[in-house]
Amino acid sequence: MQVRRLPTGGRIDRSQSLAFRFNGKEYQGFSGDTLASALLANNVRLTARSFKYHRPRGIVGSGPEEPATLVELEGRRASANQAATTVRLEEGMAARSVNCWPSPGLDMGAVNQLFAGLIPAGFYYKTFKWPGWHLYEPAIRKAAGLAGAPVAPPLDGHFEAVHAHADVLIVGAGPAGLMAALVAGRTGCRVFLADERTEAGGSLLDRRLEIAGKPALEWVAESVAELKSMPNVTHLLQDASVWAYREHNLLMVNERSPANSNVLERNWRIRAGQVILATGAIERGLVFPDNDRPGVMLASAAQAYVNRFAVKPGERAVVFANNDSAYAVAADLHASGIDIAAIVDSRDAVPEDARDLAGEIPIKSGSVVIGIRGKRAVKGATVAERDGRGAEKVDCDLLLHSGGWNPTAHLFSQSRGSLRYDDTLATFVPDKAAQACVSVGGAVGEFSPASALRTGAEAAASATGSEMPDLPAVTEGHYSIAPLWRVDARGAKGKAFLDIQNDVTVDDVHLALREGYDNVEHVKRYTTGGMGFDQGKTGNINIIGTIALQKGVPIQDVGTTTFRPPYTPVSFGAIGGIREESVVLPYRHTPITRWNLDRGAFMYEAGARWRRPGYFPRDDETFQEAVNRECRAVREDVGVYDGSPLGKFELKGGDVGRFLDHIYTNLMSTLKPGQCRYGLMLTEDGLILDDGVAMRLGKHRWMVSTSTAHADTVHGHMEELLQTQFPEWNVYVTPVTSQWNNATVCGPKAREVMAALGSDIDLSHKGLPFMSFADGQVAGLPARVVRVSFTGELSFEINVAPRHMRDLWERTMEAGEPFGIEPVGSEASHVLRVEKGFLSLGHEVDGTVDAHDLGMSWIMSKKKRDFVGKRSVELRRRGNEIRRELVGLLPANPNEQIPEGAPLTPGGERRPTEGLVTACVWSVVLDRWVALALLENGKSRHGETVHVRLKNATIAADVMEPVFHDPDGLRMRS
Amino acid sequence: MMLIPCPFCGNRSESEFAYGGPVKPDRPDSHVTDDEGWVAFLTTVPNPVGPVHEHWWHVKGCGAWLTIWRDTRTHDIVEGPPDAG
Amino acid sequence: MSYDAAFARLPVNACFDLKGAESALVEWIGAEMLPGFPADANRCRKANGVSLDHVGPRHWLLQADIDREDELNGALRPHEAPAEVSIVRISDTMATFRITGTDAAHMLAIGCPLDLHEAAFPEDAVSFTEFFGQKALVRRCVGGFEVSVEQSFGDMTEDYLTRALR
Repeated sequence: MQVRRLPTGGRIDRSQSLAFRFNGKEYQGFSGDTLASALLANNVRLTARSFKYHRPRGIVGSGPEEPATLVELEGRRASANQAATTVRLEEGMAARSVNCWPSPGLDMGAVNQLFAGLIPAGFYYKTFKWPGWHLYEPAIRKAAGLAGAPVAPPLDGHFEAVHAHADVLIVGAGPAGLMAALVAGRTGCRVFLADERTEAGGSLLDRRLEIAGKPALEWVAESVAELKSMPNVTHLLQDASVWAYREHNLLMVNERSPANSNVLERNWRIRAGQVILATGAIERGLVFPDNDRPGVMLASAAQAYVNRFAVKPGERAVVFANNDSAYAVAADLHASGIDIAAIVDSRDAVPEDARDLAGEIPIKSGSVVIGIRGKRAVKGATVAERDGRGAEKVDCDLLLHSGGWNPTAHLFSQSRGSLRYDDTLATFVPDKAAQACVSVGGAVGEFSPASALRTGAEAAASATGSEMPDLPAVTEGHYSIAPLWRVDARGAKGKAFLDIQNDVTVDDVHLALREGYDNVEHVKRYTTGGMGFDQGKTGNINIIGTIALQKGVPIQDVGTTTFRPPYTPVSFGAIGGIREESVVLPYRHTPITRWNLDRGAFMYEAGARWRRPGYFPRDDETFQEAVNRECRAVREDVGVYDGSPLGKFELKGGDVGRFLDHIYTNLMSTLKPGQCRYGLMLTEDGLILDDGVAMRLGKHRWMVSTSTAHADTVHGHMEELLQTQFPEWNVYVTPVTSQWNNATVCGPKAREVMAALGSDIDLSHKGLPFMSFADGQVAGLPARVVRVSFTGELSFEINVAPRHMRDLWERTMEAGEPFGIEPVGSEASHVLRVEKGFLSLGHEVDGTVDAHDLGMSWIMSKKKRDFVGKRSVELRRRGNEIRRELVGLLPANPNEQIPEGAPLTPGGERRPTEGLVTACVWSVVLDRWVALALLENGKSRHGETVHVRLKNATIAADVMEPVFHDPDGLRMRS
Repeated sequence: MMLIPCPFCGNRSESEFAYGGPVKPDRPDSHVTDDEGWVAFLTTVPNPVGPVHEHWWHVKGCGAWLTIWRDTRTHDIVEGPPDAG
Repeated sequence: MSYDAAFARLPVNACFDLKGAESALVEWIGAEMLPGFPADANRCRKANGVSLDHVGPRHWLLQADIDREDELNGALRPHEAPAEVSIVRISDTMATFRITGTDAAHMLAIGCPLDLHEAAFPEDAVSFTEFFGQKALVRRCVGGFEVSVEQSFGDMTEDYLTRALR
């Protein structure tokens, strides 16, 4: 039974009844309701418990300012910490209160209220500091409540994030925003309008006003219709909060009800030429004892419930205000049949306009509310003169209060615009903009509908260079205020809340000031006032007023805290968009990925986002058995691997030779066409950047191949040097990583497989020697065959265009079958290179070693006057410090594996390390574990025994040359 | 997410660029400069509070290495000082 | 209601990467081979089934149907080109997707930060930008857009597009 629903009126569809659950109980609401309005319609008053003290709370506001009733949504739309006032009611919705267990009526945490005096501001900082906050944090967070994150992704639907661009972005579809959109839209420029409510109209939805002689909502409907007819008005979003204002006019919008029903929420990233902030204003509360009891509500919220949702939030109300806006509220409520016991106005003089609105309602001027009766629901209020004299009790079930209006300056402040204190309005208003944006209407303190229309139109006309239109007539409402920062009267006892969401009271702020936290930012952190997703919507200005009052300084000298995004809570899912599950990380495939998968390859990322086969297990082989089989094939017969991911760049120009001489440590310019050379690149500070192979294709044409992982780094390095240091050099770089795939046939029988494939290239030892290449045909496909080796065996790298790769691969497997060919994954490649002592960036090369440490002094050209990193290597080595040098290790027990990365310490004792194990593999040629390590003075310690120190053991190992197979390299040169 | 002016493409989203670091003095001749000069070249990176001259690489766009003056306090892209190159 | 859009992965084009001064390129290739150089950055000119995209400073892409690759290669003679001119056959380096339908622009906007509105990105516009986090070449086509990503990211892009279309 919706006992509080008015029989007529409201922006709800009474033909569409919606069933929902709240804290396990079934209720009914209507389409057009928010969860909050539906709860009020069902007379659910106790809806929450507070964050710290677990005090009973009800619904306070009607929009994103709601500080008290936070809910966790369950089921399809599971999400945490939503304000009940912004949750659009849906059929079957299930929600529950946060901060209380098992229910707000019976909350175990309410025991905290008994100890409230013991947990003042800063309590956590003072108490839970030894041995460290992190010890206490999980338990405190649980006790403090706030909802947990959903445990599973949404059952159906997905999130989406999308980019957009606009000439004019308008935030808010109230009178100011709509008027701005009309003016901007009529010029033909691209307009984007986003509004946080489910329908346009803004504050007009909550009130009973006329525009152009008609009900205001008719003007709204006409305006929306006109905007929809404009093709240049690219977006008119409802239920869409602009939650962040970033640098360079980038704004974030969270759209909660996209037209595509598969999309749960959409996050827009809008780059706007000009931004018009028509975000309206938020009413602030008054600060008096027990101003948080269920039934104490912002006056404007009650007006919204009556007018927009046709819900009576109570039967008999007391209205407490220090300004004029509450008088219209009282009038609207009175007209809807709510008994208004009195308007309590802290001002001595009430303007005539306001008195006229009140009609017969009794007005108590110069008076304040000094107390509330009723803990779980308001039963009455104590009203007295401002100093507390003449206290009298008034029965009521609703206490409406209005402490004035604050422009919703959150986005303006996020954009780095400054705020100034306005004495007349007793609040902060936008001052100087830092980006191309302007605030209009309530957002700039123009609280009347007429001035909202005017400022909206002016801003749009100015942004688009168009004429001011004729504005529709609106009855000008008057607004005046006399600030009342807190009720300070004799007899006023009990907690008076400044920030209801964070449970911050006047006493907390006074304590913070007494303890020396007197900067407003310090007060914020010490008390937590205005933090979290409240972001000071209702409480901030009262906190600032309280500080000013206590310190005896002007309020503008206190200043505001920094508003931070998000303005309203946003799902992480919406920010991430469709980037989840299989695309959560980027991935790259080579053309034989399907073949690999069909062959049963175990695939994973192996650098630079390439998904490669780690190994190809057969039947019930273990990992090690599969890797051993692949290794043995290469060492004894033949194997083939897909080397496509290696970075490849074509370099062209008259200065390529000298450029390569500059970026490689060794001499490249002397290469002849058809030859290739292994090379090392350093960074300018002498560290190893990459190793790779340079090939000379022609007089001015070269190809450089890089390690897979560093292709992009090397590309950037080359372009940076060419464009910033040597712009006059004639060198053009073209990435061709994906123009050349390769199948590398390697092993003693590689030449026989090549013969079986058939080629017009002379592949004999003499015709195509080691470190040379030739273009021609292989298996009938146009190919480039390169004689390099990363395994230590005779190797033919057959490069083809990707469109031929799958063909080449299948023909190679077929031609190799009689020779026992095996596809080889990256695990076997790792073993094969370790057996040969070939270095691997990321293993042996860790940002401290240089070429000399790796036993590669030969690659550091002495002929060249200069190259990148030369001076730095020399400078570093001149200190004659002890270096860690590459060695081979044989574990004393040949069957004992050493974990990669394990430290070496003298004698295996608990002493500073003298090195580390960089790689350890099962060698198929030695039939035992072998390792590579970086060891202090390693080159002179061959034959010594060293010790690996593990947590509970030590492993002895003998030091040797870092090569376990074919030390003279005869096989790869064969 | 900044909007970075590319001399070839016009304003583009920061996500299309790779940061190239502040503009440093030209690389000294490694045979002429002394150790202190070389170390200073390697390790002294401009880090002002205010406008900084820096490189960006339009790696996902036209490939140009470009420079901007960016105010480190605000991310505003500003005019460089009149005596700047 | 889900999106009205569809995508298709296109076969490879003949594509040649041209770098150098416009005059040097014309001198080597001959003006009759080329559709003419686009006057502005990130614009395309087409003639006789060949398009020339101005994608970077002193950088163009020459594209045509794949069956003209040998013909173009013969005319461009990448290997003999003088030092001042760089010509590289890169036909296989990109995987191209055609995205069409009334929601095609929205599909693009999910992956791409570039303003693709007609006012900012007209008929003959072509540009490298970002698509689902990777470098991509974007142009208009009848009823939508064509997006080319580095070939090895083709499967991932297809994965993304399938997800975006839901």
